[in-house]
Amino acid sequence: MPVVQLDKRYLYSLLGSGFDEKSLKDHVAKLGFEIEEADEGSLSLEVTANRPDLLCALGLARALKNFMHKTKKFNYAIEDVEPALEIYVDPSVKRIRPYVAGVVAKGIKLADDSLADVITFTEKFCDTYGRSRRKVAIGMHDLDAIKPPVAYRCEKDVEYVPLGGTKKARLSEVLASSPKGIQYSGIIAKGGKKFFPVIEDSQGVASFVPILNSQRTRVTPSTTNIFVDITGTSEYAVNKAAEILGAMFMDLGAKVGRVAIKYGRRTVQTPEMKTSYMSVPLARAEREIGVPIGFDNVISLANKMGYEAALVGKMVRFSIPQYRVDVIDRQDLIEDIAIGYGYEYINPMAAPYTQSGGLEQQTLINRKATGIMVGMGFSEFTNSYLTNEQANFDKAGVKREESIVVLQNPKTAEISMMRTWLLPSLLRNLGASSHDSMPQDVFELDMVFCVQGSKPVESYHLGAASVGPKANFNDMKAVVEGLLLSMGTQYAVAEFRHDSFIEGRCAQIKMAGKHAGFFGELHPKVLRNFGIEEPAVAMEIDISAR
Amino acid sequence: MHRYERAVLVALKGKKGMELEELAAAAHIGRDEAMWALENLKGRGFVDVSYSASENLELGDEGKEYERDGLPEVRLLEKASMGKTAVSSLVGREKIGLQWAKRNGWITIEAGMIRLTARGLEAEKKRPGINELGRDEIVKRGLGTVSEKRHITGISATKAGIDALGSKDGDDGAIDAVDRGMISSGLWKGMKFKPYDIAAPVEPRAVAMSHPLRRLVEEVKDAYASSGFREVSGPAVESSFWAFDSLFVPQDHPARDAQDTFYASNVGSVQVGDLPYISTVKKAHQRGWHSKWSEDIAGQMLLRVHTTSVSARYIYNIVHELKSNPGKYELPIKLFSVGRVFRNEALDYRHLADFYQHDGVIIGRNLTLSNLFDTLTKLYQGLGIKVRFKPSYFPFVEPGAELMAYSEGRKEWIEMAGCGIVREEITGVSRNKLTVLAWGSGIERLMLIRDQSISSIVQLYGNGVGWLRGRKW
Repeated sequence: MPVVQLDKRYLYSLLGSGFDEKSLKDHVAKLGFEIEEADEGSLSLEVTANRPDLLCALGLARALKNFMHKTKKFNYAIEDVEPALEIYVDPSVKRIRPYVAGVVAKGIKLADDSLADVITFTEKFCDTYGRSRRKVAIGMHDLDAIKPPVAYRCEKDVEYVPLGGTKKARLSEVLASSPKGIQYSGIIAKGGKKFFPVIEDSQGVASFVPILNSQRTRVTPSTTNIFVDITGTSEYAVNKAAEILGAMFMDLGAKVGRVAIKYGRRTVQTPEMKTSYMSVPLARAEREIGVPIGFDNVISLANKMGYEAALVGKMVRFSIPQYRVDVIDRQDLIEDIAIGYGYEYINPMAAPYTQSGGLEQQTLINRKATGIMVGMGFSEFTNSYLTNEQANFDKAGVKREESIVVLQNPKTAEISMMRTWLLPSLLRNLGASSHDSMPQDVFELDMVFCVQGSKPVESYHLGAASVGPKANFNDMKAVVEGLLLSMGTQYAVAEFRHDSFIEGRCAQIKMAGKHAGFFGELHPKVLRNFGIEEPAVAMEIDISAR
Repeated sequence: MHRYERAVLVALKGKKGMELEELAAAAHIGRDEAMWALENLKGRGFVDVSYSASENLELGDEGKEYERDGLPEVRLLEKASMGKTAVSSLVGREKIGLQWAKRNGWITIEAGMIRLTARGLEAEKKRPGINELGRDEIVKRGLGTVSEKRHITGISATKAGIDALGSKDGDDGAIDAVDRGMISSGLWKGMKFKPYDIAAPVEPRAVAMSHPLRRLVEEVKDAYASSGFREVSGPAVESSFWAFDSLFVPQDHPARDAQDTFYASNVGSVQVGDLPYISTVKKAHQRGWHSKWSEDIAGQMLLRVHTTSVSARYIYNIVHELKSNPGKYELPIKLFSVGRVFRNEALDYRHLADFYQHDGVIIGRNLTLSNLFDTLTKLYQGLGIKVRFKPSYFPFVEPGAELMAYSEGRKEWIEMAGCGIVREEITGVSRNKLTVLAWGSGIERLMLIRDQSISSIVQLYGNGVGWLRGRKW
């Protein structure tokens, strides 16, 4: 879940009186999030992925003040019809990063803390909802430094002064040598070719998208008019980001203006800040949550959660706040009613009872086999399903096989495939136990994996091993026969060769005429590979329910 | 009298001043058993044991260092005799050497420089080692300790001991081991049985153990079955469709990155286009996530990241069957599954790449959030765990909640399970007609709350025999 660091003093100043650390924690928890002290000056807020609007002190304060009925701040509509700025979208960006949105905020009074909060939001939003700037990237500019016409296009390798710099640099240099360029260059590479998407005005590059803004248009605490560019691969996401920023700037006292985005013949105005409505029958909300809410109460619950709401017959009509990205339909509103009501007040009520429960056949077989093995004095182990070719094949002295489930992208060489049998895991357990007293009898009953005709095949195996100075072939034969007789399984024993075992001291177990497993005395070379110092015998049987 | 005691006394009869090994051999018992018998007999005055004591000087770490490298004061002399040496240039052990060299009168310090005295020059030639210090000095300087060790030099039986051996109320003629012939012959009639010393030490029998985690897995299954849930299962090597797409997880969700999820190669991808509900899924993604939806991405094979993929298979199939045959099942249907899930982690002492998870689902009519809370509260109550709920978000449920479990050991609430009412995007049916409750949770986490002797989940996997033997059942 996204975690964001908020300036403690700034948050409290936004919240106003009546909040202390405990009440802050409690109310944030009731909304389903978590906040805790990070250090002296900051708080660490964890929000769920569906609420990127809360990745800043402004957003959290807005939600909390509504939640406590301290304000009723619901509507962020824009009255002005005339766009404050235009951006021409050149077709050259279509292949690489086709969408752009803009926000203009005039007459904003920024301070160090509010500017830092807005920057925190843009960075966190692009990291999380913006999928590390791939889906959405945001650049903030001083509107007064922007000289129209403004265009969004792919440029040649031109020069500009990057943010924080004093000298001009080529876009290719910024991409190759600045930290942000190195970090995000993958986003604007397609088919190995690098593109240079930029927001530019008549003075040149204002923003190298999605890498680095220009020094020329940088924002400082004394900036009063702001322009924000938002680029990305999803039109919905860039437009939503514009609306969240629009609401934030309005909270900061700015007059927010729209930017007309000219996609060829199509023009879109962002942030749209249109009020949309959705209605929920109260009865349905009550039925799904399982509590009586009542018409008197539901409007107040909606207000708590930041919605303006009204009763229309038996329906509750919600106006959806422009900054919410997660309200897809009624189900989402019903959740907010439940959160407003408080999960802790929802009384548990038993679901209807219809049938008796039961266990799968495989579980019953496994329990029987486990009981028998423990009854014979074997202790149970459990191991990872993941292994590597060396452990699964080489150490056990057997040839590598091709018909295995291979992992495409492991983070460590220790795991590269799914195990095909249990004995290597068990022998590793025994190798780690050579200092414990002998004899040792161990087993594992769990899944193994192979591939047949490019389809994965999952089976349950039972593997067992005994180690100790007197371990011999007949001991393990006695265990195998004891197990199978007790399971009530028909079986036959046949001659067998297996590279993990000493030749002439290994046998095959057959069930219904088919190979079902093997047992025998492990070869000294295998024992040495696993660091086992005493003689050992082992068996492995497929006990899958078929 | 215990048979070891008797054996020792018999062996001592007529002998004087035996040694321990000699006695054990004569009594046909082990050295430890003989020692144990002697301690008992000595207490009753049946044997005399004489000892000799020897002293043993053992050097400590510092002492051993000096034994190897020489005394620091001697090393200082060597250094000072090589050329001008300033006190301020001394480091580490040399400073210790300075103190002892001064005390020994080997050096004087003039204007911060070390000068060897005549005695110092002499000592520099001889270069005495740690052993020349003598035992007392070594102990005084804390370089070693002296321990006293007692050796048995002679063991003899006392008269009382010999008398006890022959006494009338001894155990002579009493039955020692009971055997088959004796039982059937009736020879035991009228005989006494030799008593055992109930305080004699024995090696406790090793207990064969089922694995604590596996046992908890089975306990969880029982908790479900006894609450009316039927067990189901599904593949661990799964398609992205069932692990993600069917659960309304957007195709660009970070959890689907190769960073977090293992993708499988060597197995063919799945053609999801033939599934009867594919258009429902496609529409839901396009509408909900404002993005394209690709069948190819959905067809990729991976190691499942949650057992919710099993629930998804059953939800889709049951809802599909109910559409054509509404009377097919008696509702609600309650199902659960338990299995391993996988996360692409670098392995270390805190991280595993596979874990156990359990998932539950109730498919019925007019089911509520309050039904969900009740079901889970009781299920966890059955496992001995107190729970509460807080709002949370998972793409496949709305309303969504996090089940918090109380850890008595850590005295805090811990996130334990995600749950909620399944979205209509997944069932493809209005919740006015059909409601599905679902949840999923890790089992290792449950283990940590239940068993405070386990501090990390990594402990649960791939252990040695010693770990398992040391555990309580």
